[in-house]
Amino acid sequence: MKQFVMKRIGYCVLSLFLLSLTIFFFVRVTGDPATLLVEPGASPEDIAAIHHQFGLDRPLIVQYGLFMASVLTGDLGQSFYYRTPVTELYWSRLPNSVMLASAAMAFSLLIGIPSGILASVRVGRFWDNAGKVFALLGLSLPSFWVGLVMILVFSVYLGWLPSSGSGTPLHLIMPAFALGWYFAASHMRLTRSSMLEVLGSEYVKLARLKGLPQSLVIAKHAFKNALIPVLTLAGINFVIMISVAVVVETVFAWPGVGRLLYEGIAFRDFPVVQGTVLMLGAMTVVVNLVVDVLYAVIDPRIRLAS
Amino acid sequence: MESFAFDRPNTNLTRREVLAAAAAASLAAGAPRIASAAPSGQLTYGVHVALTPNWLDPAETQGIITPFMVLYALHDAMVKPMPGKAEAPCLAESWTAAADGLTYDFVIRKEAKFHNGEPVTAEDVKFSYERYRGTSHDLMKGNLASIETPDPQHVRFKLKKPWPDFLNFYSNASGAGWIVPKKYVEKVGDEGFKQAPIGAGPYKFVSFTPGVELVLEAFEGYWRKPPSVKRLVMKVIPDEATRLAALKHGEVDIAYSIRGELAEELVKTPGLALKPVVLQAPNWIYFPEQWDPKSPWHDLRVRQAANLAIDREGMSQALFLGYCKITNSIIPYTFDFYWQPPAAAYDPAKAKKLMAEAGFANGFDAGLLYCDSSYSNMAEIAVNNLGEIGIRAKLEPIERAGFFAGYASKKYTKGIIQGASGAFGNAATRLAAFVVKDGAFAYGSYPDIDALYPQQADELDHEKRASMLAKMQQLVHEKSIYAPIWQLGFLNGIGPRVGESGFGQIPGFAYTAPFEDLTIKS
Repeated sequence: MKQFVMKRIGYCVLSLFLLSLTIFFFVRVTGDPATLLVEPGASPEDIAAIHHQFGLDRPLIVQYGLFMASVLTGDLGQSFYYRTPVTELYWSRLPNSVMLASAAMAFSLLIGIPSGILASVRVGRFWDNAGKVFALLGLSLPSFWVGLVMILVFSVYLGWLPSSGSGTPLHLIMPAFALGWYFAASHMRLTRSSMLEVLGSEYVKLARLKGLPQSLVIAKHAFKNALIPVLTLAGINFVIMISVAVVVETVFAWPGVGRLLYEGIAFRDFPVVQGTVLMLGAMTVVVNLVVDVLYAVIDPRIRLAS
Repeated sequence: MESFAFDRPNTNLTRREVLAAAAAASLAAGAPRIASAAPSGQLTYGVHVALTPNWLDPAETQGIITPFMVLYALHDAMVKPMPGKAEAPCLAESWTAAADGLTYDFVIRKEAKFHNGEPVTAEDVKFSYERYRGTSHDLMKGNLASIETPDPQHVRFKLKKPWPDFLNFYSNASGAGWIVPKKYVEKVGDEGFKQAPIGAGPYKFVSFTPGVELVLEAFEGYWRKPPSVKRLVMKVIPDEATRLAALKHGEVDIAYSIRGELAEELVKTPGLALKPVVLQAPNWIYFPEQWDPKSPWHDLRVRQAANLAIDREGMSQALFLGYCKITNSIIPYTFDFYWQPPAAAYDPAKAKKLMAEAGFANGFDAGLLYCDSSYSNMAEIAVNNLGEIGIRAKLEPIERAGFFAGYASKKYTKGIIQGASGAFGNAATRLAAFVVKDGAFAYGSYPDIDALYPQQADELDHEKRASMLAKMQQLVHEKSIYAPIWQLGFLNGIGPRVGESGFGQIPGFAYTAPFEDLTIKS
């Protein structure tokens, strides 16, 4: 088991190293951040001063070395745009992203699981078809479009909800829906297929043969077993939600990590892009590591096979 | 010794008139403020760009207009653009410049105070200049010999050599003239200052969440007058449609940057008003091949034809509801030493005639038209217009940073360039960058224009210098080096609660100012 865990940790470190290399060099391909901090027509001296201030006049390999050295001490660098440590910006925004992801996850499970169960027990009928349409729309419609339509309807026309920002539970409703709908669709599809598999198993057939009502068969026997893969996916999706909320956070002006990443990209703020992507990557890697380890703990075949 | 208590350019004034005006200005400046009701209410802004802590410190001022959105509220300058005056006395009550151009003396307004109640003194002015590290700081520091503070109300700048643009850079093109309290900054440090800034502006700092929200409160001790609005909240809403929705829903009272179809929607919405502002940012078409004798662009008639082919009014109407200011110059009309050219014309028939005279009756392939992708809609219209007279070009939109990097590195030697600039300065600095030999964005130059540039740079007499710069601009126009299009119209919206919004009060300034003039309708 120890060997299994160490091996997994090794893969995590390697993944993060490759991620750091990729993001460091790719972000520099996008262009010169100095040109976005001055107006066209600015003197070459002004631009050179900015390059020097941000260390961009050093060789790339030196910049990377300095970046990695500071990352190892927990310092993700200083934002070009905000002139504030990236760690400070990231940790100040992360609670908002966690709050949004939690609300979106709650929505996606509350909608996705019951609709998936309903679709599985009404295969080929109205609720199953409705579920398929729901899943198709959720997976196809872009979240920014969903968000803008919701703002138009619920803020502008009906005046029920605030259009943007944060601070009250009302601010959370629309962005949580816009973010969670895609995941509700995927949770619905997985619940449906998982339930169908469990409903076809021997012990469920036995339960039916014993004369148990359908509702009890589903609630007591099938549901819990069908839920395992859904919750596994939900756990991983939670971290992904934080990462992919860029568009939703920008549309709703939600002050989260996704919006920070958007700002970093818009302003060629290399440290912010590098730091945010690395932190989000680290979260994903850690969650996957935990899931792998848990799987190995639950199922000895997995750790023995590795 | 010249005395300035009001802005340039001026008519030929006598010494008596100048001194009389200076005295009047001093009297007005020193006059007791009119008592007014206590500030009340709140105005909320929907801001289009992320607010950064740098904008709370004038020492970090970048060479873009956006920091001034906050600087005008929180801080004050010795001299700055104000309604009706490009160089208005603010913390400086008056100033004088020595005839040799080496010394500038400023008198600080006695009633000017910082938000902590401390008076603004000469030491603060000196400190603010010396700690400045923003745009053009090399130029500001390099030209300075010393700063003397003979007494708390007087500060004297001594230059190493005559620099006719000193006041322009001090008041307009940098943050060096925006004053911070020396004792406080030394006590809390630069980082501490950004977290809790103290200025001398009409509003004082309450709270700031980087990239999210800035809250300010009225400073009733402001020298000019106490603001009538008690609280200002600047909320960052990056998405334009969401910003408009917030304005419609009443969550914000003022929304910056609402463009295109959204601006049309705003105009149609009862209770909302569109507030366009013309920026000091001309856009143009540039012909980098004009110095190549083998290129069609070498022929003046072809460049003139291209100028006549651009439907500027139609473009402005289609993209900015007609609010751009059509121009025939790459120099903003608000800039010092601006020369008024003849009005731009749209005459495709005459353009075709010129093309035929130049031997291109059937037109020619002009290659690529390079542009900043943010303005590719504008470039697309330009491509169509040029195509109508036979100049066939293909649009090549490039992401902004990449485009300007390529433009500055002289990469686009073949084809056409659609460019723009909102850089601070005056006519001389704009010509230096875009026209004169070795300019950052000049792909070639003309000897007669180049010869005038060093002459005007050394000229201390304002009128003579203005004449030389006017001549240079005239030559640029006659040679059709550029096809200027417009000065960009920046479209904003205000809600029903707003009385005086401050938009358009300061020519060329994109945002609301002066903040002490904002009002809420009763």
